[in-house]
Amino acid sequence: MVAEVHLLRLEAISKSFGKVQANSEVSLSLSAGRILALLGENGAGKSTLMAILAGQLQPDEGRIVLDGEELCFTSTEKAIGAGIGMVYQHFKLVEAMSVAENVFLGKKEGVWLRKGDMHQEIARLAEQYGMRVDPAARVGDLSMGEKQQVEILKLLYRQSRILIFDEPTAVLTPAEAENLFATMRLMAGQGKGIIFISHKLEEVMSVADDIAVLRRGRVVAAMPASAVTSTGALAECMVGREVLLQVDRQPLELRQIVLKVAQLSDFGLGEVSFELRQGEILGLVGVAGNGQKQLVETICGLRRPQENAVRLLGLDWVQFFRNPSWERTLAYVPEDRQGLATCQGLSLLDNFLLTTSAGFTRGPWLQRGLAADKARRLMEEFDIRPADLNAQAWQLSGGNLQKMVLAREFYRKPRLIVAEQPTQGLDIAAAEDVWKLLLEAREAAGILLVTGDLAEAMALSDRIGVMYRGRLVDLFAVDDEDKVALIPQMMAGLA
Amino acid sequence: MSTEIVIALLAATVQSGTPILFATLGEILSEKSGVLNLGVEGVMILGALVGFVVARHSGNPLLAFVAAGLVGSAATAVHGPVCLWFQGNQVVSGLALTIFGVGLANYLGTAYIGTPAPGFSPVPLPGLSELPVLGPIFFNHDPLVYVSYLVPPLLWLFLHATRYGLGLRAAGEYPAAAVAAGLDVVAYRWLGVVGGGFFMGLGGAYLSLAYTHLWTSNLTAGRGWIAVALVIFAFWRPGRAVFGAYLFGGIMALQLRLQASGAQLPSSILLMLPYTLTVVVLVLSSWRKGSSDEPAALGVNVAPVD
Repeated sequence: MVAEVHLLRLEAISKSFGKVQANSEVSLSLSAGRILALLGENGAGKSTLMAILAGQLQPDEGRIVLDGEELCFTSTEKAIGAGIGMVYQHFKLVEAMSVAENVFLGKKEGVWLRKGDMHQEIARLAEQYGMRVDPAARVGDLSMGEKQQVEILKLLYRQSRILIFDEPTAVLTPAEAENLFATMRLMAGQGKGIIFISHKLEEVMSVADDIAVLRRGRVVAAMPASAVTSTGALAECMVGREVLLQVDRQPLELRQIVLKVAQLSDFGLGEVSFELRQGEILGLVGVAGNGQKQLVETICGLRRPQENAVRLLGLDWVQFFRNPSWERTLAYVPEDRQGLATCQGLSLLDNFLLTTSAGFTRGPWLQRGLAADKARRLMEEFDIRPADLNAQAWQLSGGNLQKMVLAREFYRKPRLIVAEQPTQGLDIAAAEDVWKLLLEAREAAGILLVTGDLAEAMALSDRIGVMYRGRLVDLFAVDDEDKVALIPQMMAGLA
Repeated sequence: MSTEIVIALLAATVQSGTPILFATLGEILSEKSGVLNLGVEGVMILGALVGFVVARHSGNPLLAFVAAGLVGSAATAVHGPVCLWFQGNQVVSGLALTIFGVGLANYLGTAYIGTPAPGFSPVPLPGLSELPVLGPIFFNHDPLVYVSYLVPPLLWLFLHATRYGLGLRAAGEYPAAAVAAGLDVVAYRWLGVVGGGFFMGLGGAYLSLAYTHLWTSNLTAGRGWIAVALVIFAFWRPGRAVFGAYLFGGIMALQLRLQASGAQLPSSILLMLPYTLTVVVLVLSSWRKGSSDEPAALGVNVAPVD
């Protein structure tokens, strides 16, 4: 047996942004001719790690060793030069240019571009890897799968030896994904090293040779795919079980139903039904992309369901969203706190007024003074820093911005709260604050907590629901130990 | 109208279209890299003044022509730091450049008003100028017109057949793609801005060195603005720019001839014609926006890489 050659080694890479440790002591190795899958939930640190490899970020500590030589990437150009290429989730393609022009964009020598030669070379490369792309086609006219092939051709043309795919199947149809996997295997067969980032377990199992699981910035498991006995175990690695924080949660008396979902089957969901009462937290867990997003967006008014499928505070969806009142109603704490929840370029006061302005108007006038008093008191109460109403949202750290969103939403005295990944990307202290706030809010409201973090769901929820492929696989009390033990299997579609 | 008059009119069309053509090609180069430069009018008039002054004092029109181009580059270089280093507003910066350029040129040129300078005079191209119809229209001009014939194909070749042109277009279409390919977007945008300024300066110099041979206040008379509009009309393509520039040159030449022939129309209406045409052309070309080659990231600043 030939000794395996490590093409690329990452040694104890650490990177933090402020107080948040995005990667801590990550060590990985990639061999030529193998496909390494990097598994992890959103916010697990995959993107940071790959940005470091692609030369966009510099690690605080640790080494990147390529072919036994330590490298230091200070720019994307250097990483490209070293033979590391990245297929980004959002394609970096010029839509108005042809396939050939996009591929030759990174050309480093010569002055003239000869169309005939360019087209021939691309056709040759494409054929070699079983791709069918017309070199003369305008990229804007191509399908997502074809665009991705152009991205791959770019890397092949540069003779990249290490190809990194960032969630490549997110935009593909199943058939296109199959094609992609075939291409990946072909490339690995030619001695290239491939890193495949994903959170889809089945895909990883079908294509990867090695698997590494990243969680909260650390590698929690690394093994050859052949050593994986069950996808359930992988799922468990991804979401983790270890308890980082303990909060005191006493069950409350349940009161009226605030949310009723009945046989909701739109948008790829499959007959989702549940009820949520004031006084409880329902934790919805599952690997991202199994319908959580669609469910939340439907409940929060972003997608219109069928009649009678969703009832909020006793009203049908249409009635509820026809005349939404600003208080004692639904509060949505979205995952995307910098895009959906706040406006980056507006002051904190303006951001506070985004959802509460109806409470501070008299006739056509906005009572900014009054709002400022209220917001200042809230900032003190929630310990938001900097405690400056004129600061703009982008100046706040993730944790402070999240507390600011919670302060604003809780000020509306909501009776139904939908919280999506409320502690993602926060440091432990901030996460603890957010947990306490949610538990307090439970007294007056029913809370739907959508999280990719099982420990969080276990700590906060009274009941747990597991989602898989758009279905609510099971719904049970958090102290039902038999069911809880089965959660990883349910998340992987095995139970 | 007899054929001679038509031929003379078309020859005048080429001559009055040439300065606009230079300026339009300059603006195309700049916008293709993603930088909107509304300073064309100011850069042109500075080029016109510097060309005039250098010709007057050195007696060498060729030196004057090149100097005007270099001054055009220098003037647009003011636009660079604002848009490329400090992420300033490209529209405001360009407008400031126009106001500054026109003001400065009129002020510095006061002493030269009405004075002549040596310039270029027509040199019939041997052989070609004897062609029937085409000869007198295209090949009986000053050398700068012949230079202007070469620029559109060369610009097209640069943009579409060299890797530098490809990089420059990528910088204007989708800078993120250029960065991912390891290109220096800011450097390409500098190339577009400064290279574009060179041609705008040449366009200005054509006015003072070959068109009027005289210095007057407001020599450019809005031709820079027409060039900005023509870029849109030309769908950002050098070839269509030729067509557009001669369309406007034709209207200007016609308007002059109509005035001279004592037409019964008020002269202010005639003077208005090119600008009316600008509005019409903009409306018409907005109609078919789909087929234009407008750079997707035109006017969008690129954040500096940290």
